Amino acid sequence: MKKKMLSVLLCSVMAASLLAGCGSSSSSEDSTSDGSSSSSSDTYTMAFVSKSAGNPYNEKEAEGFQEIVEAEGYECIIQHPEEATAEAQITVINSLISQGVDSITVAANDENALQSVLEEAMAAGIQVSCMDSKTNADSRAVFVNQAGITEIGQTLMDAVYDITGGSGQFAILSATSQATNQNAWIEAMQEVMDSDSKYADLELVEIAYGDDESQKSTDQTQALLSKYPDLKLICAPTTVGINAAAKVLQDEGSSVKLTGLGLPSEMAEYIGDDDEHSCPYMFLWNPEELGELAAYTAIALVNGDITGAEGETFTAGDTEYTITDAGDGGTEIILGPPFEFNEDNIDEWKDVY
Amino acid sequence: MSLPWRNKDRGVKKKMKENNSVFKRITSSREASMVIVLLVLCIIVTILSPSFLTVKSIMDMLKNNAVTMIMALGMLCVLLIGGIDISVGSTLAFSGMAIGMLAKRGIINSTPLLILIAVIVGTICGLLVGLVIAYGKVPPIIATLGFMYIYRAMAYLISNSEWASADALGDFKNFALNKILGINNVIWVMIICYVIFFIVMKWTKTGRKIYAVGSNREAAAISGINTERVELFVYTIMGLLAGLGGALAVSIYASAQPNMFDGEEMDVIASCVLGGVSMSGGRGSVTGVLIGSFLLAVIAKALPLVGISSIAQNTVQGVIILIVIVLNVVTQRMMDRNNLKGREM
Amino acid sequence: MAGKSGRTISNVPEKSWRKTLLSWEGILVIVFIAVCIFCMTISPYFTVANVFREMPKYLTEIFLMLPMAYILILGEIDISVGSTVCLAATMACMASNAQTPFVVTIIVSLLVGTLCGLVNGLILTNFTELPPMIVTLSTQIIYRGIAEIALGSGGSVVLSDTAGFKAIGQKLGIIPYIFFLVVILAVIFTVILAKTTFGRSVYAIGSNRLAAYYAGIPVQKYRLIIYTITGLMAGLAGLFMVSVTYGANTTTGDGFEMDAIAMAVFGGISSTGGKGSLIGGIISGFVIIFLRIGLGQINMNSQLILLIIGVLLILAVMLPNIMSRIQAKRKTASVK
Repeated sequence: MKKKMLSVLLCSVMAASLLAGCGSSSSSEDSTSDGSSSSSSDTYTMAFVSKSAGNPYNEKEAEGFQEIVEAEGYECIIQHPEEATAEAQITVINSLISQGVDSITVAANDENALQSVLEEAMAAGIQVSCMDSKTNADSRAVFVNQAGITEIGQTLMDAVYDITGGSGQFAILSATSQATNQNAWIEAMQEVMDSDSKYADLELVEIAYGDDESQKSTDQTQALLSKYPDLKLICAPTTVGINAAAKVLQDEGSSVKLTGLGLPSEMAEYIGDDDEHSCPYMFLWNPEELGELAAYTAIALVNGDITGAEGETFTAGDTEYTITDAGDGGTEIILGPPFEFNEDNIDEWKDVY
Repeated sequence: MSLPWRNKDRGVKKKMKENNSVFKRITSSREASMVIVLLVLCIIVTILSPSFLTVKSIMDMLKNNAVTMIMALGMLCVLLIGGIDISVGSTLAFSGMAIGMLAKRGIINSTPLLILIAVIVGTICGLLVGLVIAYGKVPPIIATLGFMYIYRAMAYLISNSEWASADALGDFKNFALNKILGINNVIWVMIICYVIFFIVMKWTKTGRKIYAVGSNREAAAISGINTERVELFVYTIMGLLAGLGGALAVSIYASAQPNMFDGEEMDVIASCVLGGVSMSGGRGSVTGVLIGSFLLAVIAKALPLVGISSIAQNTVQGVIILIVIVLNVVTQRMMDRNNLKGREM
Repeated sequence: MAGKSGRTISNVPEKSWRKTLLSWEGILVIVFIAVCIFCMTISPYFTVANVFREMPKYLTEIFLMLPMAYILILGEIDISVGSTVCLAATMACMASNAQTPFVVTIIVSLLVGTLCGLVNGLILTNFTELPPMIVTLSTQIIYRGIAEIALGSGGSVVLSDTAGFKAIGQKLGIIPYIFFLVVILAVIFTVILAKTTFGRSVYAIGSNRLAAYYAGIPVQKYRLIIYTITGLMAGLAGLFMVSVTYGANTTTGDGFEMDAIAMAVFGGISSTGGKGSLIGGIISGFVIIFLRIGLGQINMNSQLILLIIGVLLILAVMLPNIMSRIQAKRKTASVK
């Protein structure tokens, strides 16, 4: 029995030292926990919950958010949940409610699953807003949208029309089947297609799901190629999917072209308007700017400058933004039109984000 | 736990011999039945979708599944000694991420060196797992569950929330593009691994030791085999192969991401079991693993081709796995009723 | 170690208080108190109210840990429970959205769970050669796959009427209802395992299946019962997940099986069968929950928290083993 006692002592000592080590290493993140308890002092604490850890896109959003919050003199908490699931986000948000933060900005993994926890947060006096990927209208003050959904749908359809030459088969390679953003954009694309007869010669043969995993996206791309020999183009509105598809198309020297939404730093290798490159051009917004706008929005909400109602305006940096109707019963702020990356500008952007 | 007891060694050895011949018969017939299943499946798929049976399509399939197929070899050894390793996906991500970041930061650019580093990182990971299991006496499922969390977390931590993408990988990604004699490098690596394992498992002392420990640990210990060392060796090899898998995966997908191959360990285990490897140890062969992983690869490749909607693909895959393993049991029962009576329930 | 297998039935109640204190469960209580103190020192927000508020999501994993302990003591494993939670939650949402009374929704969720468990059990008892790991691996894929098909291309379902689920998510004072349910179920499961013939049979099967069979224990019947109850509990967990998320999606319950197994094993339940008690599992479940809540409140990197849990898990099992080896060596040395 002594041995057990000893072992547990050892165990706890090791655990304690481990925790101490970790605690000090993550000092940048837990700097908020000591000292100023938010609500009592006049510095507010702003929290951002990303979709998941280990994704440079989320990291860029977080960087932009943190930069502005700290520059304005507030405390900032960045939390990446352990997995890209709503449940992992619920855990994190629960913890933030306990800490009594003043605002939570979340890039939701599921549109509706966060409702109960975010309602609880709002009941506790926390300002809740979303960015990148929204929650439903009941569980947010305002949504900071990277670009209007119809705008993205229109832009992508125009790209499809332009690259295919206006006729032929094309396919969509999406992330997971429940990804809020992707589904909305794809739906918007289909609406655009139905609305104008100039798209009549285009045929959307399949929507494949690569689950935002490289391997699955690769398999799905190859399956698309062998299933549809006449395929002209793949449109991938997701950063992981477009990356995997670009690799497959370029390696095989396929004549199928690619467009969609991707990070320039990841896609630099594949962009170019010739047969060597698989992707003539693609789109994205600046995730850092999106994070910055979300930070300004959160600050404005906490300071009471805006409430998230339609028609209100506020300044973020030097630009004035107006809150508009999001079409789902809530409101949104739109960053701007998506930005086109092509062979002329990719080199200057690939080092930026 | 494994204290030797004296009086039985003769009987045990005799039993071993018997077991061996019976066991050979079973595996050979098992493999035969698996080949039939595989062929039937291929024929059905080819009828439904003629583009399946082309050289290019098969080569693509092999290349995309090479990593799983290589790791299945390590898993074979682990399962043979009655263990299990669910940390391989994390080990792969950790070693892949390590070389991805080295290449991205421009520290190392030579392809052979990067592969070597990934292999070393994987081997060390496997060695640690082996030490904890063999000498710490931690049940394999628990030890590797713990290491699954640990290595995955380490992959995230060293990634610093970045990916190493095509642009950053330089020449390294060309490794998975280049071909020798018309066959992709990655497939060559896989073939070499299978040949080595086939020889080692069939004709060397090491191979026989692994089988011996798996079929009867106590007997193996009595006959002078250091079972703990075999266990350590097996998990180290598993780590080595996972490290190699990490290097190949980064090269194939031209991208290193901390969440890569999350949950892949289950595919690796499934391909072993489909190939007739017993999870209680002692039974299984390299040929079986080859067929099993081939089967899984064909299923994964065929489902989107034959037009099963992507939403239903997981279900169909699960059902097929279940049917195959149940069928395996049923045919084996019919073939060998007598053998069954002597076994545990 | 006395027996050939080295497995002993250790559920015999300890008599003296010192022995109780020094058993693994006693040590866990000390660890539990230490974790509480540790969390309170690192986080100013670690208050009773906050802990109870953050707890419900984790408590659903205790639902799974209870029957998982039985399965582990049998020397088996069930990795399909996370998917069962997903399927049960999905079906519960769909039933609720079909305007059925809330009681029916509850029944649907429990029934779906039970059915999933029953299927596992039937396959495993009819094809006893099949290892539980591979069977539950394939049903894991299948159950989540069925949920994916049912959820369709959106991949998620939203409750149109949240009243019923809101009600079961309510609190009595600061304590959520689910906590009471966990306590009641924990007591039932513990008493059955420790005090009844059924419980003892489970240990017997786990220690030596063949011996248990010859001793007249209906091994397969008991296995079937245990897997079915595991499914039932997963259905219950699914129900409470819906009360947290007001809906279900394809990732609901993802990874729950591993969390449940980790809790049980950390509590001293051996995955090789025959050993451990549920009291240990329950205490260790709360140790892990409190640690996660406390570390979460200081905003520690979520991956680091997983790393710590992984290390603790391995150490908890390894250190006692190493100690006993060293002691055994010392003993043999002194005998010589």
